[in-house]
Amino acid sequence: MSGARPIFDLPEVDPGLSGVLPSGWLGLLRGMSGSGVSLLAKQFAHAGLGASPVHYYSTYERTDDVERAFRDFRWTPKGLEVINLSDEYYERILRRDLEVSRARETGISYRDLADHPTVPLRRRTYNLANRILADLAGMNGPFRLVLDSLDFFLEVLDPSEVLMLARQTRHHAQNLGGQVLLVIQPDIHERRTSGLLEDMADLVVDLQGAEPPRDDRRTLLVRKVRNHPERTQAHAARVTEHGLALFAPEDRDPPATTG
Amino acid sequence: MDAPVPETAAPPTRDRCATGIQGLDDILGGGIPRGNMILVSGSVGTGKTTLTLEFLVRGAERGEKSLFLSVTEASDKLIQNLSTFEFFRTDLVTSGSLVFVDVPVIYDRLGLDREEMTAEDLDLLVLTIQGLVTELGVKRVVLDSLTSVCYRIRKEERIRDFMLKLSQTLSALDCTTLLVSEVAQSPGRLSLYGVEEAIVDGVILLGNTRRQGDIIRVLQVIKMRGTSHSRAQYVIELTPIGMLMAPHLKGGHQEGG
Repeated sequence: MSGARPIFDLPEVDPGLSGVLPSGWLGLLRGMSGSGVSLLAKQFAHAGLGASPVHYYSTYERTDDVERAFRDFRWTPKGLEVINLSDEYYERILRRDLEVSRARETGISYRDLADHPTVPLRRRTYNLANRILADLAGMNGPFRLVLDSLDFFLEVLDPSEVLMLARQTRHHAQNLGGQVLLVIQPDIHERRTSGLLEDMADLVVDLQGAEPPRDDRRTLLVRKVRNHPERTQAHAARVTEHGLALFAPEDRDPPATTG
Repeated sequence: MDAPVPETAAPPTRDRCATGIQGLDDILGGGIPRGNMILVSGSVGTGKTTLTLEFLVRGAERGEKSLFLSVTEASDKLIQNLSTFEFFRTDLVTSGSLVFVDVPVIYDRLGLDREEMTAEDLDLLVLTIQGLVTELGVKRVVLDSLTSVCYRIRKEERIRDFMLKLSQTLSALDCTTLLVSEVAQSPGRLSLYGVEEAIVDGVILLGNTRRQGDIIRVLQVIKMRGTSHSRAQYVIELTPIGMLMAPHLKGGHQEGG
């Protein structure tokens, strides 16, 4: 069962969450660009491999880059399903926008029309939210799902659609015992949208780097554990060759770092 | 001193674009003045599309490249329907003398997918049609239907602007154009928005009427700039060999406006 698997593969954090989170939950992982949220999201995905299907929705990274990041931290991506939404979005939306711009600028010839005499309907009906909901509808058991990141969705969709997607995803997770992690940048979206997402989430984790950026030290804050405010906690973290690891701030000899 | 003008000098006559439709060219004194833009108006089932398609086929047979811009019906289906007419020749299509283009494909290529088209969108549409006519050397154009395009324009002044630009553009290319206009059957109604007939050079009205219990199709040339024409109503019949016309009521003779 997926519930038996570590959550983030962080021994200092996982036990405190596994006991109190429901079998199906939705979490928010927040962090500014460069904070390491994508790495922690991959660590969450890796920790779930082997127990249930793990779906990693990437919106900025290429599939190869996601898999290479796994190998960089000595994780085997076997069994990981990477769904590259940025490629799909490019193929279905952006490429068409480019073609349209070219056609509007330079005109279209009869050959342009004769080569593609019909209007491909699928291009018009592509919707990122529907894309994921269709995948969810096909699931019938526990799963682990990462959406890295929700920022892309909030960039191209109406916030109400994104909130609907989050609600539906949470509903599926609750029904099937799924574990969902939505990655999002803090403080760049409407307060209302951010607030509703926080309210919906069973778990909210922030990952912060030092300001100004100095080294690989990070702060991991468990901001919200539904119904268990006593479980909120703060940890010092560092990027190691096996991913993100926690250590006590007073430790003089923190875990070895990469590089 | 000015040279005396001979009293017998004949007024200059415009070159004609023969429709090839039996009877219609007689009414028009040989055909539509070349370069005119004509509204072919009528309610559903009155023969508008058939008339315009025959106009193109007859033109293609005479060596005039012809273009059918279809807004509502897929070209493949239209060609299938056309093949039931004896006057239609598939080789005109395969040789490129008669070209069909689906306007929704133009919309798609130009990203004209907004519910209401902007002035810029309409300029792009006119430019695209101009480009096709120039590229293919087209001399006859049918837009079926203008009404469907206008559904996405809505504002009267924008419809007027679009039609003026289309008319000037195609006329400058010596292209004779028929615009199909769908109207509900009501007396005196020539177009859906009421502005279309004012812009065009001519109006051919098609309709249904009752005669001894039967419903018959009728045709009437309401307006045709650049030629004198009969305004009488004619009975038309859509036969496998094309449209046939016969006088319905005795009518007068109207000078072109």
